[in-house]
Amino acid sequence: MSLFPTGADWRRAAKDLVEGLAAWHIWTLLAFNDIRQRYKRSRFGQFWITLSTGIFIAGIGSVYSFLFGQPVETYIPYLAVNIVIWGMLAGIVTDSTAAFTQAGSILGQQALPKTIFVMRVIVRQLIILAHNLVIIALVFLLFGIVPTAAAVMAVPGLLLLAVASLPAGMTIGLLCTRFRDLPQIIQSLLQVAFFLTPVMWHVDQLGGRVPYVIDFNPFAIFLLLVADPLHGHWPGIGRYVQALAIIGTMVLVTAPLFARFRARIVYWL
Amino acid sequence: MPLIELRDVSVDFPIYNSRSRSLRNALMARIGGRLAGEGDLVTVRALQDISITLNPGDRVALIGRNGAGKSTLLRVLAGAYEPTAGSAVINGRVSSLFDLTMGMDAELTGVDNVILRGVFLGMSIAEARSYIPEVAEFSELGSFMHLPMRTYSSGMRLRLAFAISTVRTPDILLLDEFISVGDESFARKARERLERMIDEAHILVLASHSLQTLRAYCNRALLLDEGRIIADGAIEDVLDRYKGGAA
Repeated sequence: MSLFPTGADWRRAAKDLVEGLAAWHIWTLLAFNDIRQRYKRSRFGQFWITLSTGIFIAGIGSVYSFLFGQPVETYIPYLAVNIVIWGMLAGIVTDSTAAFTQAGSILGQQALPKTIFVMRVIVRQLIILAHNLVIIALVFLLFGIVPTAAAVMAVPGLLLLAVASLPAGMTIGLLCTRFRDLPQIIQSLLQVAFFLTPVMWHVDQLGGRVPYVIDFNPFAIFLLLVADPLHGHWPGIGRYVQALAIIGTMVLVTAPLFARFRARIVYWL
Repeated sequence: MPLIELRDVSVDFPIYNSRSRSLRNALMARIGGRLAGEGDLVTVRALQDISITLNPGDRVALIGRNGAGKSTLLRVLAGAYEPTAGSAVINGRVSSLFDLTMGMDAELTGVDNVILRGVFLGMSIAEARSYIPEVAEFSELGSFMHLPMRTYSSGMRLRLAFAISTVRTPDILLLDEFISVGDESFARKARERLERMIDEAHILVLASHSLQTLRAYCNRALLLDEGRIIADGAIEDVLDRYKGGAA
């Protein structure tokens, strides 16, 4: 058993990717069903997503604006944007750990592209993001914040984030199917990453020290790429270069891994 | 032209106990050598050197004792399991009716589940939606179609699943035991529909322990034993061998 993918492996992986992306109606349907199913019997339904994020921001926002000695009217909008985007980043990582195991019964009896189940996770998180955007709008309205023209750059930022999510989700999903301790490990690391990423604090608070906490932290790079425009800053070109470098690295890691072990996923379920 | 061609197909299942499945052990195995006494990776060879060609018109019975590899072979034919060794070519639209309720969701309504199941069968959403009236009529669920599936009895669930799963005839039909659903009158209706599907499908593969069922629908048989094909031929010849205690 070789560790390297054969030509046939590469062809089948490419086919999986192409057919998986083309089956958009399956992954959007699955993603919407996931959301509907989760909140089916509750009174507020899927607006619990919005509500619970709102409660979290209000609570943490009041406490930390006091701790950091920052005025509530600037800190809460800052936090609201960051928390919402962090939620998407963390959600993609968390949900990817179960991307394939969750679909075990389906994968076990039907030949479906594995890509479908990673796309399902990404769309599911985009739906959650859409619900949380309401909070950003409400908070901005409440504190009278007018987004600047820079806000349009959040769109390409989000697009890059979605692109990065595909190889990331594939690798995480694949490894977590094989190694069942990994979801727990990832969950713990994610908590650490939360504090290492400028979600609750400002990059300025580092005062130029330990720049690698930002520059080598994929979470920070993608967070800033989407959040900075909403805070009214134009992201520097360097940020985009960093994001593209991360995507490139992930593709280089994921492509051979997926090609070699894609067919094994079913056997690991 | 629908066609199935397996060449020297083997399927090995790795059995991971909790030890070898953890990342820690995989890392330690590379760095520190294997821990003494504990088993390494165990693999079960479910299929070995299977070479078969199925052409249109083939009605194939899969025979063999429990654990002979019938279900695994069906899953290879469905394309769900890509063989560990050898090659599998499967041309044509496959319908595998192993678990009728696969992918269905108890919290969703009957209508939503018809769409969901239809999409898994390879339909577009619009196409799946167009079958809703037909499925409602055949399954006799009426207004229950708009209630969550968790309110259904298990018989009602199967009726719904059967109705949508058999709404379209595939090129290749794979069955693990002949499906029987519902009460007497529904079972008769379902049998007729399944028989029509069997007739219209280009290739049928049916695994069953009921020799009577196999005789009724099949013209060719594969006898499996411990993951190998030990007989392949006309159904009566293979059944004789099976009954004679060859496997």
